[in-house]
Amino acid sequence: MKVIQHLIRTPESAIGLGILVLLALVALLAPVLSPGDPLRIAARPLLAPFTDPSFPLGTDRLGRDVLAGIIHGARTSLAVGIAAAFAAIAFGFCIGLTAGFAGGLVDEALMRVVDAFQIVPSFLLALAFVSVIGASAPVVVIAISLGAWADPARLTRAQVLSIRERDYVASARVIGMHPVEIALKEILPNALPPVLALSAIIVAAAILTEAALSFLGLGDPNVVTWGSMIAEGRNILRSSPSLSIFPGIALIVTVVGVYLFSEGLTKTLAGRRAEE
Amino acid sequence: MLLIVVVLTFLLLESASGDAVDAYLLSIGGGDAAVARSLRQAYGLDQSMAARLWLYLSSLMKLDLGWSIAFDRPVLDLVVERLPNTLLLMGSATALSFGLGSALGIVAGARPESPRDRVLSTISLILYAIPSFWLGLVLSIIFAVQLRWLPTSGIETIASGKAGLARAADIARHLVLPVGALALIYMALFLRVMRSGMAEAWQLDFVLFARSKGLSRTRIVLRHVARNALLPLVTMLGLQSAAMLGGSVVIESIFSIPGFGRLAQEAVSGRDAPLLMGIIIVSAVLVICVNLVIDIVYAALDPRVGASESGG
Amino acid sequence: MTIAHLSRRTLLQAGSALLASTALPVLARAQNTPSGGRLIVAADSEPKNLNPAIVASNGVFFIASKVVEPLAEASFDGKDGLSPRLATSWEGSADGKSVTFKLREGVKWHDGKPFTSADVAFSALSIWKPLQNLGRVVFANLEAVDTPDAATAIFKFSKPTPLQLIRNALPVVSSVVPKHVYEGTDIAGNPANVKLVGTGPFKLTEYKPGEYYRLTKNADYWNKGEPKLDEVIFRVLPDRAGAGAALEAEEIQLAAFSAVPLTDLARISKVPGIKVISKGYEALTYQLVVEINHRRKELADLKVRQAIAHAIDRKFVVDTIFLGYASASTGPVPKNAPEFYDAGVPTYAFDVAKANALLDEAGYKKGANGTRFSLKLRPAPYFNETKQFGDYLRQALAAVGIDAQLVNADSAAHQKAVYTDHDFDLAVGPPVFRGDPAISTTILVQSGIPAGVPFSNQGGYASKELDDIIARAAVTVDTAARTDLYKQFQKLVATDLPLINVAEWGFITVARDSVLNVSNNPRWAVSNWADTALKS
Repeated sequence: MKVIQHLIRTPESAIGLGILVLLALVALLAPVLSPGDPLRIAARPLLAPFTDPSFPLGTDRLGRDVLAGIIHGARTSLAVGIAAAFAAIAFGFCIGLTAGFAGGLVDEALMRVVDAFQIVPSFLLALAFVSVIGASAPVVVIAISLGAWADPARLTRAQVLSIRERDYVASARVIGMHPVEIALKEILPNALPPVLALSAIIVAAAILTEAALSFLGLGDPNVVTWGSMIAEGRNILRSSPSLSIFPGIALIVTVVGVYLFSEGLTKTLAGRRAEE
Repeated sequence: MLLIVVVLTFLLLESASGDAVDAYLLSIGGGDAAVARSLRQAYGLDQSMAARLWLYLSSLMKLDLGWSIAFDRPVLDLVVERLPNTLLLMGSATALSFGLGSALGIVAGARPESPRDRVLSTISLILYAIPSFWLGLVLSIIFAVQLRWLPTSGIETIASGKAGLARAADIARHLVLPVGALALIYMALFLRVMRSGMAEAWQLDFVLFARSKGLSRTRIVLRHVARNALLPLVTMLGLQSAAMLGGSVVIESIFSIPGFGRLAQEAVSGRDAPLLMGIIIVSAVLVICVNLVIDIVYAALDPRVGASESGG
Repeated sequence: MTIAHLSRRTLLQAGSALLASTALPVLARAQNTPSGGRLIVAADSEPKNLNPAIVASNGVFFIASKVVEPLAEASFDGKDGLSPRLATSWEGSADGKSVTFKLREGVKWHDGKPFTSADVAFSALSIWKPLQNLGRVVFANLEAVDTPDAATAIFKFSKPTPLQLIRNALPVVSSVVPKHVYEGTDIAGNPANVKLVGTGPFKLTEYKPGEYYRLTKNADYWNKGEPKLDEVIFRVLPDRAGAGAALEAEEIQLAAFSAVPLTDLARISKVPGIKVISKGYEALTYQLVVEINHRRKELADLKVRQAIAHAIDRKFVVDTIFLGYASASTGPVPKNAPEFYDAGVPTYAFDVAKANALLDEAGYKKGANGTRFSLKLRPAPYFNETKQFGDYLRQALAAVGIDAQLVNADSAAHQKAVYTDHDFDLAVGPPVFRGDPAISTTILVQSGIPAGVPFSNQGGYASKELDDIIARAAVTVDTAARTDLYKQFQKLVATDLPLINVAEWGFITVARDSVLNVSNNPRWAVSNWADTALKS
């Protein structure tokens, strides 16, 4: 609760939080707000927006409801973003923790792998991965997290290294705590917060990467995402710009929301650490 | 480290469905089984995976990047041909986004939390959130098709016979839109790092001291605060170089610039393992070089950092 | 012949000026057109092997057909639908075992050496028959090429080979390359495969990878007064939106092969100075086909296949996905091949109730969730339209209780999955009809084709009756009898539905008004452009 109080203190993070809560609601309530398959052909193709009250944002090339696409797209885009960020952070955190805690050869080997992933352009990696394995939602998630786990791993390791030397860890060692116990009880809770602050950035980047992959024709065709809507709409950008503008606005609002929230979170966490 | 990259890339393409011959047969509209078999033989694709990996690695040791199947040319030729375009594109985009980002970051960070700061931060965020392909297309429609100020695509006017300065000016004109699109997107990152660095610097002792001495605000901003905030920005530059190379894939395809990103995409769709590995190796080397330069710059900017401490 | 098949819409968009110009006799046109100038054209791919004698594909022909010529080119009004190029006449023997070509005299290669029957014999025996993707089928039984003099080439076959097939295949399979450049070398690796040497109206003078191909006028071209243009430049524009923008900005003058997306045509046709032309692809008809894996129990049932055929609204496909730039198919031979086309085949009207009834009859009742069974649907990624049809088919099948899960893959992976691994239930493919059913159409339904052959029957369908007709037609020399066999072939395919033909389409050319003599033959985009001109 205290965190939330802190968060809504600055207008930016309050706005960010508001946007995210709203989006989460839309995503969760999508089946209620717009029942049925959002990809079904519902009306005349290329219905202009704001002309038919039952299709307020019009229809696309095949006659699919744009509003339904945006509502359901919130679900998939957020799910892809959050899943990718979660996977990247969980994996990166484990690797960083192991490297930092084990030290020596293990550390050296793991960090070289981290280096390898950091010097390869992550979008190139995602592109290669998806075209090679085939485009489906889980593959897209893995592809994005493949390019994103190296940063959290490096950060976690740095955290572990600095925490390891602190007094309370040393005292735990003195009283004979098992190393695994120390890792879980003492180091993990202290190393996690700064890594979590990275998460928002990864979510935003993941949503954008998914959009770019869809643009190159590598999205999952069974679900609707904002990225695929923009990608499809850009073929008729000149004659029906609204088809790519509406999902584009949704994407921008989300990414801005995620960013504002993450800045607020970082500030709050930094503030709390300073208070400690 | 490079070895890990090479082996991982190789394994990734190995696990792909469809090989270079599948991709080639498709592009020529089909062929029978005998054609496919003889092509696989010609490119050595009928040998075992381990044998091919070993062959590739041993020729790599002799600095031979191998032969591209999709283009039927040496990988090195292709890479050398495309590298200048990408370097030009990425270099100018990085310089522009760094310059714009840090300048606006100074403006924003000069008075943190002021309306000016909020407006700038929000605009840069919105730009960051626009998918690059969309921004690229819209810029091209406005400036190339409607206003006709700039060319729609390409790296230079084709077969123009221009040389020297005229050619350079021509290339510059072609680069305005793609560089602009990339720079606008990445500007946000630099702006935000600069701004937050400055916000922190205001709290530092020597800045507080300078303020108490009654130095003019502009002077403090430029001499003390901004200078101090520039350091993390330089680090950021190194981290971003890999991301920028990846981001150019889409922009190069929209603006028809024959660069690295497009080559990589063609390598993937043509299942051209030697070419893709060549590209990844060269871009990795590039990123390492950039980071080396940045370490040196960093050391020059901040005497407290010895060259030995910085890693990359 | 093609005028009858143009829809009202095409006529309107082709514009009266164009129709008037193509209606004029060839000679008059040649004298009135201006000469000189540089034509810049959009190209979306850069083939690594540009030799049309080895790689007979549209991507190669688009550029190479201006440099290397075939024996004859397709024509709207010529005898047999052909207009002579390097051959001036062709005649078959009664037993179908030989064809005599009279060759054009006074023709020179771009390197100055004379063109003779030896070049034709060499190309046929050393390249077309053993190496070329399509020539391997057409010239399978070619034994020898006799050259009694420099202007005569007599093709000898071991088994009867119908002249009708040879004639229909000529524009595609008969690109002649110089013997003196290729003889005694590794043909597949010869540098001339990239630096072409031909007899055509243009010479390939420069290639900048990723940027452009430059073709310059061949001053010694055998047809005096041609070519009209000084230069043709193929500018590489891989992004679909790029061609339209470049045309509007007057950076290029022509975009063929639907480089401007269909969705943008209605708008761009209203831009002053730009014309949209749907003519000139009649001999390059693409077919939108639902490929069926007959190994799947449900799909082996004819009733289920009929139900799927009834579930597809062809009018929606033509009007919405192709925006009218296509027509509904009735069977495996398109209407653009009037020599073979038979309209009297069973058709499947859009009828959801009937489709549901057929599926019920077949014993696949709807489950509690309204679904009868699930399928894996793989739309080919090569065209926007094949992907969109995949999206549509999923919805159309859902309406009759079949749950189709779309699988999206890039070209190489799609090809491997469908044509080698058979990892699909339904696939959407765009096979091409190449002038004669024997070239690339019968292979779509014939049994016994090994795995790994793209655009062939990989669905495990086998019908002895159909195989028999195909085998008989392959050796039937008499044109009328052979044509009749292919009519039976169409009826059988439409009845038994080894695959479902949905629509057929040609491509669209968009050009500036200044480009003259566009689309004046049925393979225009891949013909030699000798008479194409620019209004200054």
